[in-house]
Amino acid sequence: MISRRGALVAGGTGAAVLAAGGGGYLVATHDKAEPISPPSVNADGKLLWRNWSGIQASYPAARLAPGDEAELARMLRTAASPIRPVGAGHSFTALAPTTGTLVSLDALSGVVGWDGDEAIVLAGTRLGALGAALAAKGRAMANLPDINKQSLAGALATATHGTGSRLQALHGDVTGLRLVTPGGQVIDCDATREADIFQAARVSLGALGVISQVRLKTIPNRRVRRKVWIEPLPDALAQAESRWAQHRNFEFYAVPFTGLAVGISHDETDDPAEARGPDQDTAFLDALKGLRNLLGFSAPLRKAAARALLAGAKPETAVDEGWKLLSTERPVRFNEMEFHLPADVQLKALEEVVAAIEKERPDVFFPIEVRRVAADEAWLSPFQGGERGSVAVHTHYKDDFAFLYELIEPIFRRHGGRPHWGKLHTLRDQQLAGLYPRWDDFLKVRAEMDPQGRMLNPYLKGLFGVV
Amino acid sequence: MRAAVFLALAALSLVGCGEKTPPAPTPEQALLLKPADPRLAGLYETSCKACHATPGTGAPLVQDRAAWDPRWKQGEAMLLDHTIQGFKAMPASGQCATCAPADFQGLIRFMAGREDPA
Repeated sequence: MISRRGALVAGGTGAAVLAAGGGGYLVATHDKAEPISPPSVNADGKLLWRNWSGIQASYPAARLAPGDEAELARMLRTAASPIRPVGAGHSFTALAPTTGTLVSLDALSGVVGWDGDEAIVLAGTRLGALGAALAAKGRAMANLPDINKQSLAGALATATHGTGSRLQALHGDVTGLRLVTPGGQVIDCDATREADIFQAARVSLGALGVISQVRLKTIPNRRVRRKVWIEPLPDALAQAESRWAQHRNFEFYAVPFTGLAVGISHDETDDPAEARGPDQDTAFLDALKGLRNLLGFSAPLRKAAARALLAGAKPETAVDEGWKLLSTERPVRFNEMEFHLPADVQLKALEEVVAAIEKERPDVFFPIEVRRVAADEAWLSPFQGGERGSVAVHTHYKDDFAFLYELIEPIFRRHGGRPHWGKLHTLRDQQLAGLYPRWDDFLKVRAEMDPQGRMLNPYLKGLFGVV
Repeated sequence: MRAAVFLALAALSLVGCGEKTPPAPTPEQALLLKPADPRLAGLYETSCKACHATPGTGAPLVQDRAAWDPRWKQGEAMLLDHTIQGFKAMPASGQCATCAPADFQGLIRFMAGREDPA
C-alpha cells in the first residue's frame, strides 16, 4: 500500500500512544488471540485443508497432484466426488472445501510455448512465477492483481482482476484454453472452436472440470513508475474519474476514520529503475490498528490523530518492471468482500460504505480498496457487458466479518453490484441469474461438461441451484 | 590477574553456550538455498520461498538460526500444527495443498537449519 510512510506512521503512532501512558501502549498494541483452528487431523486421519484467511476448512479424502494433463485426465475419471481444484487457497468463499478430492495443479507450472506474442501457460503456474517467466522473453501480462501467490487457474476461475479503466481482468487476456472434464475428456477451445465452452470456461469457478493450460495475450515488458500519495478523501473522490482516464493503472484506498485516501498510480516509463525499498504495508496497517485500539471509542479523536500523523506525508515513487510492482506478497491475512458496481454508481456506493462503517463499526481499520476494470464478454465475468468499479472491504483475519453481510452487502446490492466470485457474499441461484444475462447458458454448459455434478461441493450446488 | 580471570570467564561462557549459532544467510544467500531432496525443493520453491527467503515479510528467514531457534524450542509437533493450521501471518499449510505431514516436517527442518537430526 504505502512503504516508507509506514515507518513514519508507526513511529508517530508509537509516540502518540506512549504520550497516553504505558496503559495506552498496551491497548494500542494489544493483539487478539488466534481464531480457534480445527484439528490438524480429523477422526478419520485426514489432514486439514484451510484457506489463506482460515475461515474455510475441510478434510479431503484424497489429494491429487497430477504431473501432466494426461495424468490429470486419468485421475479425474475415478476421483471421489466432490472434486475441487485448488490453487493458493486465496478464495474466501467455499469454492475449494471438499470431503472428496482436492486437486492441485502445482506440478503443472510454467510457460511451455509461444504462439507469436501469446504465451502457452500451464494453469497451475503461480502469478509471481509467471511474471518472471514472461519477463525472460521480454513480455508481461497487461494487468495483475494485488497478490502474486494465486495460481493462474484460480485467478481466472474467480475473475481476479487488477485496476485500470482500459485494462480487462486476467481472463480478458485468455485467447484459448484446454479443459479436462471430470470424465477425462480434453477440450481445446477458443473464440471460434467450441466457442460456447470457451466463453463459459474463462470464468467458471472450477465447476466445468479442470483447466490444464491457457493461451495468454502478452504485452512488451515495460518499466512503470509507481506513485503513492495521501490526500483528503473528498479530493480523491473528485479526481478519481480523471485519474482513471489519465493513468494506465490507478486505484485508491479510502481509509476509514481518517478522512483520507491513499492514491496509487502506475504508468509506463523509460526512466531507469528506482528501488521501491522494503515493504512497509504491515507497519502501516499496525499503525491503523493501534489507532483503532487506542482511540476507537471516539471517531473525532481517532480522525484527528490519524490526520496529524498521515496528512503531511510525502508522496513516494518507484520505477521497475510492471510485474514486480503491481503484484506483491500480502503478509497480513484478512477476510474480504468485494463487489463490482456499474461504474457510474461506484463512488456513491463507496461513500455510503465509508459512512456506514464510520457510523456502525469502529472496529474496522483496514483501508477500503477502489478499482476500475474494463468490460469483457466471458459469461460469468462480473465485468460482462460494461466497465465496472470495484469496492473491497477488508477485515483483519482475527476480527469479526459478519457485518460485511449485514451492513455492507445491502449497499452493494442496492447499486446493482456483482460479487467477486472468490470473496464473501451471500448471493445464490436466482439472485445471480438476475445479474448475469448468460447465467442459464452457463448452467447448460456446466450440465453438459459434468452431468453427474462431480465437480460440485455443497456450496457450488447452492450457488448454481443444483438439487 | 584481571586478564586471567577475564579469559577464564570467557572460556566458561563459551562452554555455557554449547554449539555456536551459525550466522544468518545474507538475503542473496537466502535466495539460493533449497532442500537437497528434489521433491522438497519443488515444494519449497512453490510454497515457502516467497516469504521465508525474503527479508521483511515477517516470516523467519530460511536457516536464520537466531530467528528459528526460539520457535524450534517449542517442539516440532507445535511447529507442525502451526504449519497445518496456519498461525499469525503464516497461511495454513503454507498454501501447499498436497504437502503431507512428512513434507512439512522436512521443510521445517530445512528452514530451521535442523536438517541434521543430530
